[in-house]
Amino acid sequence: MDNYLQLKDVSLSYHTKEKEVLALDNITFSVKKNEYLSIVGPSGCGKTTILSLIAGLLKPSGGEVLLENKPIDKNTTIGYMFQRDHLFEWRTIYKNVILGLELNGKSKDKESIERVDDLLKKYGLYDFKNSYPYQLSGGMRQRAALIRTLALQPKILLLDEPFSALDYQTKLSVCDDVHQIITNEKQTVIAVTHDISEAISMSDRIVVLTNRPSKVKYIQDIKLQDIKTPLKRRESTIFPKYFDLIWKELSNEKKEEVK
Amino acid sequence: MKKKRKLNNYSLEHKKYLKKIKVDKTTTLIAQILIFCAIIGLWELLTATKVLDPFFLSSPSRIFVTLVDTFKNGNLLYHIGITLYETIVGFILATALGTFIAILLWWSNKLRNILDPYIVVLNALPKIALGPVIIIWVGAGTPAIITMCILICIVITTLSMLSSFLSCDKDKIALMKSMGANKFQILFKLILPNSFGEFVSVLKINVGMSWVGTIMGEYLVSKAGLGYLIVYGGQVFKLDLVMSSTVVLCFLACLMYILVGILERKVKRH
Repeated sequence: MDNYLQLKDVSLSYHTKEKEVLALDNITFSVKKNEYLSIVGPSGCGKTTILSLIAGLLKPSGGEVLLENKPIDKNTTIGYMFQRDHLFEWRTIYKNVILGLELNGKSKDKESIERVDDLLKKYGLYDFKNSYPYQLSGGMRQRAALIRTLALQPKILLLDEPFSALDYQTKLSVCDDVHQIITNEKQTVIAVTHDISEAISMSDRIVVLTNRPSKVKYIQDIKLQDIKTPLKRRESTIFPKYFDLIWKELSNEKKEEVK
Repeated sequence: MKKKRKLNNYSLEHKKYLKKIKVDKTTTLIAQILIFCAIIGLWELLTATKVLDPFFLSSPSRIFVTLVDTFKNGNLLYHIGITLYETIVGFILATALGTFIAILLWWSNKLRNILDPYIVVLNALPKIALGPVIIIWVGAGTPAIITMCILICIVITTLSMLSSFLSCDKDKIALMKSMGANKFQILFKLILPNSFGEFVSVLKINVGMSWVGTIMGEYLVSKAGLGYLIVYGGQVFKLDLVMSSTVVLCFLACLMYILVGILERKVKRH
């Protein structure tokens, strides 16, 4: 399926008392099923806004967002992960992970619970299911947050700089973990990041946005799928070439910003 | 996991460190006790030798005698009971109502904006000024005192809880929404548990405030209670009675504060 998720001429304006700000200007791109797509762009260009639109938390001012050729509505299950894991400190890991099921009245649904148990076992958190978040390391917390999102079997997974709050070493290993989980569970992912290396090592495709009002500037296919883990991909000889390409596109934008 | 280990396992340096902590703690406690004893001792000494007039200052021994006397004739417990009843009822009602109003204001931005100036005025107003109005509206006696107590506590409860509700991380709310949560679920599964810490501090503030409210209420209208004893004692120049009632008040307020502390620790463990 080539057009699993489509953004068609999506635009969005913010309204403040003083003015109207056009944040997104005719954004068009599509995501294939099981693809990992990263969005990079100058800071403040509205990357997170795109995710909010796809999640249905915001309505576009123009254009449409289609999932399997249908507009996204309240009943579409979408997984959303943030910069911080946002595990609830007053809940055990298990209670955190089934939060989404609870909200949708599925916390007693046998099939869903078995799935969650499976995920916890597979990704090394089952022994910690009765622990509280503060007892876990940063990497484990991020994994728990991912399982919480996957428990609802989302049609699409949105990652909003999910690794930026981690220190560099943890980040590298968590990237590997998360990549492995996402590949195993056959998730379609749209990630927003400001870290070019992370984007290249994780993604199948990278979308570069312009300054505000953002347009799609450039889309780069990344052909590193033969190499399994993001960490190993960083060692590949074409990795720096991709980096240069994207860096150039981005730094052109930054210069225009200065002008 | 039990953290009990034998002392032998520690290095000499660590043992020294532990000892230092212990010594620090003990010296602080000793100093606190010494200050208490010094104040009581000096007070007793200066009044017993008539350097200071016990008629105006009372004295520890006279307070003790007064307490024993009023306890024996049953009056003390009666007055304590009245005041305790008013304080606890006021405390519970004010905390519950205040939190409930905070929830309503959190729920509706519109309502919050509309009521904002009224809340500001109500917060700034010295509630004691409403005393005469309260007496006329709810009648002199226990209901008036409880109303006063509620008025004193409720505004601060509402404001503290509301600001805590509103300070909840926006991303956490977005997370709940992205998982399909409705407003009730956001309230009960996120906002309320997230504000539990603030709720406990409000309880602690209200312990103090509800005593203020009750005693003020009793100053205005009462025929019984510790506030009544204090006012009565002042009017007939029985400073022993005034001081004794104050001591009991101190003790009760401390007790209530400690109880809230115990409740906090119990709930936090779960």
